[in-house]
Amino acid sequence: MTNKTKTRAFAAALLAGTALASAASAQNVNFWYHFDNADNPMSDLVEKFEAENPGITVTAENVPWNSYYDQLYTSIVAGTAPDAALVKLNALPRLIEMEALEPLDARLEGWEGLEEIQDNLLNLTAAADGTHYYLPVQYVVLYLYYRTDMFEELGLTPPATCDDFREAAKALTRDTDGDGRIDTYGFGFRGGKGGHDHWGSLVLSREGVGFGAGELTSDAGVAGTQFVLDLFQEDAVFPPSAPNDGFKEVIGAFQGGTTAMTIHHIGSSAGMVEALGDNVSAVPVPECGGGRWTSFGDESTAIFANAQDKEAAWKWISFLSSPENNAAFNVATGQLPVTKTDSANWTVHEQRFVDATIDSLPFAHLLPNVSETADFANTVWPVAMQRALIGELSAAEMNAEIDALYND
Amino acid sequence: MTATTIPPVPLSRRVLPLVMLSPAVLVTLAIVFLPMAQAVWMSLHDYVLFRPKSFDFVGLKNFATALKDPVFWISLRHTVLWIAITVPAQMLLGLATALLLNQEFPWRGLARALVIIPWALPSVVIALMWVWIYDANYGVLNEFLLRMDLISTSIPWLANPDTALYAIILTLTWQGFPFFAVMILAGLQAIPRSYYEAAAIDGASKWQQFRNITLPGLAGVLMTATLLRLIWVANSIDVIFVMTGGGPGYSTYTLPLYAFINARTGLDYGYGSALAVCFTLLLLGFVILYLRRAGRNIG
Repeated sequence: MTNKTKTRAFAAALLAGTALASAASAQNVNFWYHFDNADNPMSDLVEKFEAENPGITVTAENVPWNSYYDQLYTSIVAGTAPDAALVKLNALPRLIEMEALEPLDARLEGWEGLEEIQDNLLNLTAAADGTHYYLPVQYVVLYLYYRTDMFEELGLTPPATCDDFREAAKALTRDTDGDGRIDTYGFGFRGGKGGHDHWGSLVLSREGVGFGAGELTSDAGVAGTQFVLDLFQEDAVFPPSAPNDGFKEVIGAFQGGTTAMTIHHIGSSAGMVEALGDNVSAVPVPECGGGRWTSFGDESTAIFANAQDKEAAWKWISFLSSPENNAAFNVATGQLPVTKTDSANWTVHEQRFVDATIDSLPFAHLLPNVSETADFANTVWPVAMQRALIGELSAAEMNAEIDALYND
Repeated sequence: MTATTIPPVPLSRRVLPLVMLSPAVLVTLAIVFLPMAQAVWMSLHDYVLFRPKSFDFVGLKNFATALKDPVFWISLRHTVLWIAITVPAQMLLGLATALLLNQEFPWRGLARALVIIPWALPSVVIALMWVWIYDANYGVLNEFLLRMDLISTSIPWLANPDTALYAIILTLTWQGFPFFAVMILAGLQAIPRSYYEAAAIDGASKWQQFRNITLPGLAGVLMTATLLRLIWVANSIDVIFVMTGGGPGYSTYTLPLYAFINARTGLDYGYGSALAVCFTLLLLGFVILYLRRAGRNIG
């Protein structure tokens, strides 16, 4: 080989290497998600995706839930956002305001999996102007868990109305071992972050009550919050720790027998059955003040505007919302698949919890799709609810604080 | 007699120390003073993270808002309580422990090693552990008090606004007293035994020996340790954040926690920075005292 040939060969190799390196970096999808489950299927899904899409690699990072959005927003501002991530609907207005999202409409139109997505899910997760930035990946609807053995023992039936609920909660609050101390409380109320779903079921169900101007400060709105406060302050049917209780405390207390009812979704049903067997079941939340309201819990994926390779990111997120892959994803999260095929063949959850979810769908709602909702869920509601529970705010004052957030 | 003239120090010798020190100075400027200056600059702006395009200069508006904000004053009151109880409690417990560990007794080495454990554990682990101790349903504290007939029903220590702050103060006292114990133990060993022997010959009681020999001998250590701990305790938010997140309501809000919640959860970096700057100014007196003391020791 002459020197000239050697030089050419070296240059060609260098160019090829550079091209390969740039192709490799361009074809990497950095994906953020949050799983609490020990059984994390993500590496299996990544492996399957990479086998089906040679040339694309996925770096999936499990970010702790407690700081998930803090980190996401910060990374967007710092210019280090992931290419794609798991996102909730209440973050959509802020992400749009930050111009952080890539619209998906054009890609959705040409996607063969579109027909597979459950009816109405894409409508529910669209932005206020109808643009789609989110691709649904799982969903849940909240319902009322109750202890069948305790209800049977006292001759109670699952509560259908708020009055039934209150009477049942009072009856279930008792000293079961005769030591003079209450050891079972009627309802496990979540006074900490995330508890707005509990409050919403007992307050937002009431006729004419919502987040519109003056709706929460109306007589019906105030009566709803007063109903919650009375359950704690007068009837003492919540554990005394309720003002600070979060997800772990509420679920732990129900599984441990400290509470006889609580509100959550199918995501916790496997743990409930493991702890309580047939002694746990679920029904839709009670009708209160003329209506019913329960929370629709969403989780979607989105591509970020600064993604290195949007096409590769789209391939990855659409893979997660395709039959089989979506089922594998939801087996681990314990939530419900968004594809019709996976839903039709779904045997992961006990039927009674699937039934309670389906029965709750007609009155399932999302919180307002506006920027204020993040503040409502993260700070305004938890602080106001805690202050009301410990007697620092009245029901009217608490509702006025929320009304001011949305309407001032 | 002719005066001897000192030869001038060469320029290279004069410049060399500055050159050698400059990397450390530059790093300190970059990682300490630059963020501080940035925080002060942000405190003069309306800056909400999810509206990155609007970064409007508002002068002292954020500070004026803080002074009118009732939560600021609640947090300030809690911060004063937090410091005024925790630091003396840690110091007294540390002093008692150090005096005990300074005595001759079997397994003293093991006892000295064990006492460090609370200090060595991560704050988050300590916070989670004490959340379980205080738990209203399963916690050992309630169980113990109930069995001793000291209370008739479980107390939700962290969910009751009257007890939550003090429950966390107790946790932090437990975590921080080994620092004082170790510092004071070192100080005790630096006091010559002959002082005590002479005092004993003169007929001084144990209390007189403690007051006139031990305490003056420890004064320097106590002052330095207290100032240091005061600054740390004042800034400590991890234990509160894990145990109550500031709740119930504002019952366990302190100023650094309020600044953190505003900036990190509310994403309002302008107001959060203003709160942090206010707090830094309030703490500045103690920082200056510490720096003067540290400077004097070096001198």
